Amino acid sequence: MTAAVSLVVLLAILGSSIAVAAGMGLTGVVLNQLFSSMPLTRVLGELTWSTTSNFILTAIPFYIMFGEILLRSGIAERMYASLMQWLSWLPGGLMHSNVGACALFGSVSGSSVATAATIGVVAMGEIDKHKYNEPLFLGTLAAGGTLGILIPPSINMIIYGVMTDTSVPKLYLAGFIPGFILTVLFSLTVAIACIWKPHWGGNKVETSWDERIRTLPDLLPPLVLLMIVIGAIFYGVATATEAAAVGIVGALAITAWRRRLTLTMLRDVCEATVRTTAMVVAILVGAFFLNVVIQTIGLTQQLSRLIAAYQLTPTQVLLAVIALYLVLGTFMEELSMMISTIPITTPLMVQAGYDSVWYGILIVLLIQTAMISPPFGINLFVIQGIRGRGKLSDVELGSAPFVIALLIMIAIICIWPETVMWAVRVFG
Amino acid sequence: MERLQEVATRVSRAGAIAGGALLLFASIAICIDITTRYLFAWTLGGADELSGYALAISSAWGLSAAVLTRSHIRIDTIYVRVRAQARAMLDLLNLAVFVFFFALITYYAWGVFRQSWQSDSHSLSEIQMPLIVPQGLWVAGLAFFVLVSAMLLVRGLRSFLGRDLDALFAAIGSKSAVAEAQEEVENVERAFEAERLEHERLERERLEREKKS
Repeated sequence: MTAAVSLVVLLAILGSSIAVAAGMGLTGVVLNQLFSSMPLTRVLGELTWSTTSNFILTAIPFYIMFGEILLRSGIAERMYASLMQWLSWLPGGLMHSNVGACALFGSVSGSSVATAATIGVVAMGEIDKHKYNEPLFLGTLAAGGTLGILIPPSINMIIYGVMTDTSVPKLYLAGFIPGFILTVLFSLTVAIACIWKPHWGGNKVETSWDERIRTLPDLLPPLVLLMIVIGAIFYGVATATEAAAVGIVGALAITAWRRRLTLTMLRDVCEATVRTTAMVVAILVGAFFLNVVIQTIGLTQQLSRLIAAYQLTPTQVLLAVIALYLVLGTFMEELSMMISTIPITTPLMVQAGYDSVWYGILIVLLIQTAMISPPFGINLFVIQGIRGRGKLSDVELGSAPFVIALLIMIAIICIWPETVMWAVRVFG
Repeated sequence: MERLQEVATRVSRAGAIAGGALLLFASIAICIDITTRYLFAWTLGGADELSGYALAISSAWGLSAAVLTRSHIRIDTIYVRVRAQARAMLDLLNLAVFVFFFALITYYAWGVFRQSWQSDSHSLSEIQMPLIVPQGLWVAGLAFFVLVSAMLLVRGLRSFLGRDLDALFAAIGSKSAVAEAQEEVENVERAFEAERLEHERLERERLEREKKS
C-alpha cells in the first residue's frame, strides 16, 4: 500500500514537469505527512549541510571542472588527427577513430555528454569529406560518447558510490574491462556493417607511417593525465576525489603549455562548473531527503517482503530491474533516472545476492543505453545539435546497432560477472 | 521588475564565478597537500575540509544561476504535449514548489547557522574553522536563491495574468532537452573557435618565416 501510494505521488509530481530536485523534495514532504508522525523536515538543514560539505562529493565539481578545462585545452583535435592515422585502415575508416577517440577522451572525462560533444565537434566535418553513411557515422559518435561514464573516471560512478556506500576506486577498477570490451564491440559493429555494405565505409583516408609517428606525441596528453589521475588512486597516493583535483592542475598545466590559459577562459570554466554542479547537487539533496523519508516509513523493507512473497528468483529480480531501466530510459533524463531509483533498486539487488560494485557497472551500462535510445536520449540530441541539419531520426537510426551492442555487453556481464569483478578481486 | 532581474543575474553570475574560483583554489590546495604528504609525510592539513566548504558554498550560490538560465532538470514528457495555457501553469507550479522546498531548507539551514553562532562551534580539525564562516556564506546563497525564485514566480504570475505567455516561457519555461544539448554544443564550439584562431595564427607566422628564409 505505502509502496503504491509513494510511487503514484512521485510519478505524479515528476510527471507534471516539476524540476527533479524540488519534486523529489516535495514527494518526501508529502510522504512524510501521509505515513509518518515524525516531522522529518526538521533534518533538512543539517542534511543539506552535511551532504553538500561532504568531501567525497567534491569529486563532482572537480571532475566537471576537469572536463571544462580539457575542452578548452585543445587536446581533442590533435588526438583525433592522430587516431585518424592509426585506425582508419579498418573497414569503416574514420568511424573507428570516432570510437577510439571517444574511448581515449572518456578515459580522462567523467561525462558522456561532454565526450560526445567534444569528439562530435571535431569529427563532424569528415562525413562530407569522405562520403560516409551519415546515420552510421553519427551513431558512432553518439554511442562512443557514452563510453565517457563507463571508462573511469566517471561522475555517475561517484554519485552511485556515495549514494549506495560503495567504494569508488573499486567501481573504477571494475569499469576498465567492460569499457575495453564495449569499445571493441562498437568497433566490431562498425566493421560488420561496413563489410556487409562496403560503400558505407566512405573514401580511403590518406595515411603514412611518417605521419603516424609524427602525430604520436598528440596522444600523450590524455594518456599522461589518465596515468596521473588513475595511477594516483591505485598506488594509494590519492583518493578518487583528490585525484580529480590533481587532474585539474594537470589539465591547467597542459592548457598553459598550449598557451591557452587566460582569465576569460578561467572565468568561463568557473561559471560553467558551478552551474552544472549546483544542478546536480540540488537533485542529490532532494534525493537524500526522500531517501531518509523512504527509510523511515519502511518502504524498502516492504518491497523486499513483496519480492519474497512472490518468491522471485535472483534472475527474475535482475531481469525486472533491467526491464525497468530500459523502459524508464526511453523517456527520463538519465541523471535524474539514476539518482531517483538507485536508493530503491540497489538494496533489492544486494539482497538478491548481487555485488553492489557489479550492480554499479550494470547501472552505468543501462544509463548508456538510455542515452542513445529514443525518444529521450541526451547523446542523440547532442550529436544532432552539432550536425545542425537533417532529421533527428537519422541519429536514432544510426545509433540502433550500438544499442544492440550495449545489450550484448549487458548480457556479457550478466552471464560472466567475472568480466567486471576480476579486476576488483586481483587489484582491489 | 526587469531591473531587478538584471541585478539578480549579475549577482548570481558573480556568485557562480566566485564559487568556481573557490573550487579551483581548493583543488590546488589538495595538490599541495598530496605532494607534501607523499614527499615529506607531512601536511598543512585542512585542504579536504576546505574543499567541502567550497562545494557547499558554490553549490548554494550556483542554484540561482541555474534557475535564471532555466538549467534545472525537468521531465517534460507530458509538458510538451499539453496546450500553452496548461504549460504556463506547470511552469508556475514548478517555481512554486522550488520556492516552497528551498524556503524550507533555508529555514532549517538558518537554524544550523544560528546553532553554530550561539555555541561558537569550531570544526574538529587542525584548522578549527569557526563554522559560522562557511555556514554563513552557504545560508546566504540559499536565501538568495529563494529570493530569486520568488521574484521569478511573481514575474511569471504577472505575465500569466497579463496573458503574455511568450514572456512567461522566456523567463521560466522548461528548456527542452534539445535546446539543452544545443547549448552544450555551442559551448564546445566556442572553446574550439579559440583553438582554431590560434592555430591559424601560428600557421601564418610559420609561412611568413618560411617566406623570409
